[in-house]
Amino acid sequence: MDNLDAARLQMAFTLIFHIVFACIGMVMPFFMIVAHKKWLNTRNKVYLELTKSWQKGVAIFFVVGAVSGTALSFELGLLWPEFMKYAGPIIGMPFSLEGAAFFVEAIALGFYLYGWNKIPEKFHWLTGVIVGISGVTSGILVVSANGWMNAPSGFDYINGEFLNIDPVKAFFNPAWFTQALHMTLAAFTATGFAVAGIHAYQIYKQRQIELHKKAFKIAITFGTVAAILQPLSGDLSAKDIAERQPVKLAAMEAHYNTQKGAPLYIGGIVDEENEKVTYKIEIPKALSFLAFGDFNAEVKGLKDFPDDVKPPVAIVHYAFQVMVGLGTLLLVVGILFFISLKKTALSENNKFWMLFALMAPIGFIALEAGWIVTEVGRQPWIIHNVMKTKDAVTPMPGMIYSFYMYVILYSILTIAVSWLMARQIKLLNQSNLS
Amino acid sequence: MLYVVLTFLLVSLLLYVILAGADFGAGIVELFSTKKNQQLTKKTIYRVMGPVWEANHIWIIILVVILWVGFPQFYNILVVFLHIPLTLVLLGITLRGVAFVFRHYDAYKDKSQILYDWMFRIASLLTPIFLGMTAGAMLSGELIITNDYQAYTFKELYITPWFNWFAILVGCFFAGLCAFLTSILLIGESNPDNRAIYVRKSRYTTIAVISIGFLVLSYGFINNVAFITDFIKNPYTIALIGISAILIMPLLQSIKNAKKVLSRTLAGLQVVLILLAAFITHFPVLILGANANINILETVASEKTIQVLGISLIVGGLIILPGLFHLLKSFKMIKVLEQ
Repeated sequence: MDNLDAARLQMAFTLIFHIVFACIGMVMPFFMIVAHKKWLNTRNKVYLELTKSWQKGVAIFFVVGAVSGTALSFELGLLWPEFMKYAGPIIGMPFSLEGAAFFVEAIALGFYLYGWNKIPEKFHWLTGVIVGISGVTSGILVVSANGWMNAPSGFDYINGEFLNIDPVKAFFNPAWFTQALHMTLAAFTATGFAVAGIHAYQIYKQRQIELHKKAFKIAITFGTVAAILQPLSGDLSAKDIAERQPVKLAAMEAHYNTQKGAPLYIGGIVDEENEKVTYKIEIPKALSFLAFGDFNAEVKGLKDFPDDVKPPVAIVHYAFQVMVGLGTLLLVVGILFFISLKKTALSENNKFWMLFALMAPIGFIALEAGWIVTEVGRQPWIIHNVMKTKDAVTPMPGMIYSFYMYVILYSILTIAVSWLMARQIKLLNQSNLS
Repeated sequence: MLYVVLTFLLVSLLLYVILAGADFGAGIVELFSTKKNQQLTKKTIYRVMGPVWEANHIWIIILVVILWVGFPQFYNILVVFLHIPLTLVLLGITLRGVAFVFRHYDAYKDKSQILYDWMFRIASLLTPIFLGMTAGAMLSGELIITNDYQAYTFKELYITPWFNWFAILVGCFFAGLCAFLTSILLIGESNPDNRAIYVRKSRYTTIAVISIGFLVLSYGFINNVAFITDFIKNPYTIALIGISAILIMPLLQSIKNAKKVLSRTLAGLQVVLILLAAFITHFPVLILGANANINILETVASEKTIQVLGISLIVGGLIILPGLFHLLKSFKMIKVLEQ
């Protein structure tokens, strides 16, 4: 394997890992403060127990998110030094603000975790709120920097030089809002369903039902609301990509031939060599409508783009299908929860809980698939239409060993964190709440 | 605005070295404690460091961001040629961070604690050594800065610059400094019965730091490391080191009498003086390579970028610093009044 592919794999692998922890660390504080608020309002011990249990989860996920994030802040430069040399001064603003937001989060978390019975109750709760808000802010800022890679702006690229740099304009690049919105909702959906799923499984197993039901309700409410809003945000993203990155859109849809009133393919097997898609479901004119809001709009096909700007089609298409498919599944299951609030008979059936338990990993699979769409779909560019990934990679050979090291390290961490969570739940189920 | 950015760079560096240094030192002190004292140290560290350690480590992110945004070419040299030690630092930061949290948030306290403890201690020792080696590499005169990667071997470009005796000694010096900071911090955190343990440790680590520092200087002097020969000639540097030397006596006295505030202040001051001395020896040249010296001011980004960076830092600083101070105070890392 050459150096470029090894560096790519390492970046992909470490991002996939970091995203899970970052999302949970960013969203779980919201569940925690809701439970905490309910404890303050009702003085029901169950809520206190739940808050403290979730806070341990937050602490563990936050630290893994923080250290893997620290590693990433270095990796950007270690793996892609040429990229950072030019991009750093342009997209530094969201990164430096992200540093500040992250700092606020760490300070607030210090107060929150260690503040029980030491600082005034209301202030203590408020520090939890700050953890949540600053976490989401960091997330949005980082995604804005990624948006710039898709929609480079705030500079003039003349003869290979980056001139007239305007960091503020780069920060508010055309992609930042749609991407940040889509990612924030995705984080809430994925974490909501993951946490709810874990508690649903405990209910299914008839353990500490009162506590787990309360936990489930908080998490699933966040998850479902976000899942319902997500298609709207997805639509904004699709229209944005259609305009700015038509080749990415074509790859997402495996759309080879330029045509007016282009159909939407669902599923299908992509044959990259013969530029064909087989075994697909075709919805006439739907792609034109989704991309441009007009059933007869022309959608440019992959065949009309030069070969050296095309991303790998199959991966992007499959990842897109997975993202949309699973997102829709969560939407439907989430609505089922709202129905169960009216028709209580539903939740008395144990299969109901099994269904939600099965949904636990789905949100994160969809979320990772979404990142594959946006990152692989941008290839071969690291900065869209400006710099290619192969021109940004480190000159140091042997990146494959660095990749192996991260695979081993992060695999061990994944196992360790899962094991720790299982132990938390076990302890929680053994505790006496009366 | 450039000076605002440079001030933030220097302040973040100092704060990172002092705050994260004390945190690394926690693991080192624990490592070099007898079995009985280990549990005691672990408990004290948790109480003192628990709420603040994550915030302490974010200074390095601020530092990195300032470098890559404001001084992109300077940062580029570091990440290309010091890739390996920086990766080792990251590995260490990851392992000790998760070990610290795992050992306190694991639901059951059983045999797995032994694993977390050792992971935390070993990584706490190695991380500052690698960090110090990275800094040592910048000043060792071994770094080859080139675009012609084929002209040199892998070893010449990516190993020798940091894997040499000078850099290793600087690494050990930094680890010693970390242990020194923590031992003194712990004097004020232990109860009267145990105070003697940390008073003794503080004295040992002070001597260790002075000895390793002396070794670094003599090694550099004997082997003609340009940084050291200039270090002992620069009048400002000599003045700073002179002050630091004079302050060692009151420091040892305050350790002996277990004066919390005074010993902490003097220990912090030592670190500031040493770092400043190293910083100004060649400032603005901060990399002394084998074939080129890098002046950080020549790598500065465009004016507009520096302006935005400076404003972001000021805004960020206004939000962060009061919060951080309040946190350190609330959990008594900073003792405002002697008790």
